[in-house]
Amino acid sequence: MNIRPATFALIVFFAAILAFFCIFAPRFATPSTFENLMAGFSFVAILAIGQSFPILTRGIDLSIGAIVAVVGMVTFDLSLIFHLPGYIILPIALLVGTLAGAINGLLIVYLRLQPFIATLATLATYRGLVYAISGRQLVPGLSTTPISDKWITGLENYYDVGGWLGLSKLIGMPWFPLSFFVMLGLFALFQIILLGTRFGRDVHTVGGNFEAARLAGINTGRIIIAAYAISGFCAGVAALLLVARLTTSTEALGFGMELTAIAAAVIGGVSLAGGVGSVFGPALGAFFLGVVLLGLTQMGISQYVQQIITGAILLAAVGYDRLLVLRRQRRVTANISQVAADG
Amino acid sequence: MADTPIIKAIGLTKVYGNLPALSDANLTVMPGEVRALIGSNGAGKSTLIKILTGAVSPTLGRVQLNGETAPLGDPSEMIRRGVACIYQHSNLAPAMSVLDNMFLGRQRAYRFGLLDRRRQRKEALALLEKHAIDLDLDATVANLPTVKQKEVEIMKALALDARAILMDEPTGWLAASEVAKLHATIRALKGRGVGIVYISHMLDEIFAVCDTMTIMRDGKVIAESAVADIDRPRVVALMVGEKLARESAQATHQKRQPRGTGEVRLSAKNLTKRGVFRDISFDLHAGEIFCITGLIGSKRTELIRTFFGSDRFDSGTLEVEGKSVAFRGPTQAIAHGIGFVPEDRHREGLMLDMSMTENLAMATLNRFHRAGLISLRKMVEAGKRSIANLSIQPPDGKRPVRLLSGGNQQKVLVGKWLNLGPRIIILDEPTVGVDVGAKAEIYAILRAERDRGAAVLVVSSDLEEVMTVADRIGVMAAGRLKAVHDADKTGMDEIVREIGGDA
Repeated sequence: MNIRPATFALIVFFAAILAFFCIFAPRFATPSTFENLMAGFSFVAILAIGQSFPILTRGIDLSIGAIVAVVGMVTFDLSLIFHLPGYIILPIALLVGTLAGAINGLLIVYLRLQPFIATLATLATYRGLVYAISGRQLVPGLSTTPISDKWITGLENYYDVGGWLGLSKLIGMPWFPLSFFVMLGLFALFQIILLGTRFGRDVHTVGGNFEAARLAGINTGRIIIAAYAISGFCAGVAALLLVARLTTSTEALGFGMELTAIAAAVIGGVSLAGGVGSVFGPALGAFFLGVVLLGLTQMGISQYVQQIITGAILLAAVGYDRLLVLRRQRRVTANISQVAADG
Repeated sequence: MADTPIIKAIGLTKVYGNLPALSDANLTVMPGEVRALIGSNGAGKSTLIKILTGAVSPTLGRVQLNGETAPLGDPSEMIRRGVACIYQHSNLAPAMSVLDNMFLGRQRAYRFGLLDRRRQRKEALALLEKHAIDLDLDATVANLPTVKQKEVEIMKALALDARAILMDEPTGWLAASEVAKLHATIRALKGRGVGIVYISHMLDEIFAVCDTMTIMRDGKVIAESAVADIDRPRVVALMVGEKLARESAQATHQKRQPRGTGEVRLSAKNLTKRGVFRDISFDLHAGEIFCITGLIGSKRTELIRTFFGSDRFDSGTLEVEGKSVAFRGPTQAIAHGIGFVPEDRHREGLMLDMSMTENLAMATLNRFHRAGLISLRKMVEAGKRSIANLSIQPPDGKRPVRLLSGGNQQKVLVGKWLNLGPRIIILDEPTVGVDVGAKAEIYAILRAERDRGAAVLVVSSDLEEVMTVADRIGVMAAGRLKAVHDADKTGMDEIVREIGGDA
């Protein structure tokens, strides 16, 4: 498997920006920074991994922030109102996320809606649903009660990997949050699915040339619905990790996260033109954004400027994607003339 | 076994809205038979093919594959039963590898859908060897030249172990040597008992490679014949109907007017664009049709795009009516009275969902202004005049361009520019994908423009077209203008020699 130029560029940029902040940002090269990075951006990486699937099919999923909130509130209600045990809540919560994603897919396939429009509509709908089912509003006093179920709070846990491996004696090592390992697990799972299974190839085909996929007998509807269901599932996982961290949920949980996830996916080289990309890039893209934001914070640069810089990075990534698409087209033209000259 | 047809379509009928696209069509293909399917645009060929690939389900009729009645309207079912199709437009996923594309939608897999890449590769290599085709399985399709991409499509069909292969204009973008290679592949397939349906506008190809032909017109099958039992004029007559055939025959005996009135409208001197074309010098006169021909990739399109300002040249001079110009965009070229009809009418020329009237008026909107608003009434009237002048069918200005046949779409596109009354009109492959009847009409329009005194510059790969319509012929090869001839003093064989030449 050869590394695509976009992926390679990202790895180089990532290393460069990391080196930059380690040198220029005070107190950046410390274990606690990396702990923050992993704890604060693993769930963004998970959202970005999920987001890759709709984008690969040449769609987009704007509703994931709202799905995070729905799943968070369902968890809140089941735990604090219905007092269900965590081992029942967790699968239900993931199922709710997956279903919410699948509904996006169904709308796109059966009502033939544009993905942008369909998920913009469900973004509003799901966000409204959160208020409707909010245990904070329905049951007085619950808003200050923390979730204490061990199954849920257990998701917020840290492991002294460096200590076990004996590396801590040599250099200061951060403790690794569980969310980081969850992210690694999902990354491995979806990378194998994308590159090594028929479903993964079909996702690429549907995004790369929809008509060819249809005429090759691929069940395009099923592929698209599955792509959005995976996106919803990942939003569900991210929601559980967030709820575990906060020991509660709010109506605003996950607000605006869809944009961060889309940014991470595009920075990670998933082409908005469809059919190009994997989940490695988006995962790395999320941490790239994380390094930039944490680094700028530690350099004392204001939140607003940070947003401008994030936007600029996104523009650069989209521009680079566009450049690659153009270059691909130009190469085809060049090849044609080469053949004509040879002939 | 040999007596069971691979494909037997019986009484296929397809009605869109209340327009019958196909009525009561029969088609039979025996093992080892290459059957040509020919007809004008809108004759129902595409609909018939779409039914056979399962992309469309017919309103009436049935299809037997190897003697069994097949369920219709399901692409995967038709593929499973061994019907493959090579489409006119690419049906590959450009960002994926050749290997992935060969097994598109049918990846060999273990349990849980895990890919069996080793088996895929083995099967692919065996196929490549069997058909003596050289392809890098790991190359990304987008990086391959067009001819190679076509080979990938053929391998994709062969990987199905298809009993029947439908080929819709398979040579549309191939150079002559590649066409010969494709035909060799077809003969090899035929020898192995594969049945082939071959759709093409190129009668040469049909007489070269096909055994039998089915001729369609207006959604009906109007004749079937062995290729050996029929001659070209008869085929053309059947395709377009007797009257049009007579007219197009007359059209070829037109008088040539090299250098027209003698007035130079456009003059190129040593025009060069680095790495693309160089040292192009010629004059285009008022009242003549100048055709530039050559192979695909000989940079004809790139050259004329600089005339219209949509590309720049690096050095040399371009004069329009005696004044040196370097257009920075089409707007300036239009202001100098230049009209440009691009090759890809869908992508660059027409607004498919807008009406004929709107498309016709697009380049001349400012004529219909009244107090800053567009006068719809004036626009509709102008549209009516154009539609009548160009005899666009059906003459309904409100109809979206998408619903017109290829030939009529092309007339709309040409008409849009003629409304400007251009002094120079440039056309890139004006009759690609246009049927014989509409071709003759477009030629008549071009001649009328010439006789009006316009300078007409046509880029065309279709030699028959060049010999029919040109007053003078320029031959380009590998970015250079190799020769310019008066059309009445040269012949097809000389031009062919120069096109192939030492390029």
